[in-house]
Amino acid sequence: MNLDDELKSALRREDPPAGFAQRVTARAQSRPARNPGMLRMIWAAGIAAMLVIGVTSVSQYRQVQGERAAQEAVTALRIAADKLNMTRDKVLKLEN
Amino acid sequence: MLTQAAITRAIPRAMTDDPEQFAELVREHQAMVFSMACRYLRNRALAEEIAQDVFLQLYKKLPDLESPDHVLHWLRWVTAHRLIDHSRQQQRRPQTPLDDAPEPAAPANQGDPLLTDTLRQLVAELPENARLVMILRYQEDLDPMDIAQALEMPLATVKSHLQRSLALLRDRLTRKKGVGI
Repeated sequence: MNLDDELKSALRREDPPAGFAQRVTARAQSRPARNPGMLRMIWAAGIAAMLVIGVTSVSQYRQVQGERAAQEAVTALRIAADKLNMTRDKVLKLEN
Repeated sequence: MLTQAAITRAIPRAMTDDPEQFAELVREHQAMVFSMACRYLRNRALAEEIAQDVFLQLYKKLPDLESPDHVLHWLRWVTAHRLIDHSRQQQRRPQTPLDDAPEPAAPANQGDPLLTDTLRQLVAELPENARLVMILRYQEDLDPMDIAQALEMPLATVKSHLQRSLALLRDRLTRKKGVGI
């Protein structure tokens, strides 16, 4: 016995089960082929969408913060005005 | 069987408009890819699954491949690396012992079927790189230089794998069967 010959015989090529090529072709045809340019476009569109969402979120957050600060300032002015009015009333009472 | 000129025409055309040309290309190489996977894994179902994945990769890669030789080398390289990747993934998961794995169906044999099965089992038990080297040497009949190129491995490493694997196989065969080979 010659080990080289026995190995060549044991490891010789073998065909896959019948219909293998048809199964592969069917799977290949069922996948839309995407070229690298299209993939790059998809990536670029994804990144652009994320940027737009990010910028919009930041500007909305700033707008909400601004509105809240304005409301707080108005409230503070109202309180200050009320106190001034009360003080003026007391001064007028003392003068009379 | 396609002629060399037909294969050359098939490469650019298969991708775009003729599935039958691609099927011809698959038929041309399916025995090589499937057998590499089958001998490496000793599991026909898994070998078919991996062989299909390799050809689907080929389908996407076809526009970049320039010649039938390029296709052949690319297929060998991708199949080898796909098999190594699979082994590494399996090593991280619980494994089915080789003895419990589905046995490959034995086609019409030319030699001793018991010896053939024993040799296949012993080859399948070799470490992953040594196993691939043996498959490329004895299934694909590549010389060590071509194996080194196919696996991107130093020539000395390929020769060392071959020598050690053959010595190991001789030793195990002698112990298993009590036969000198």
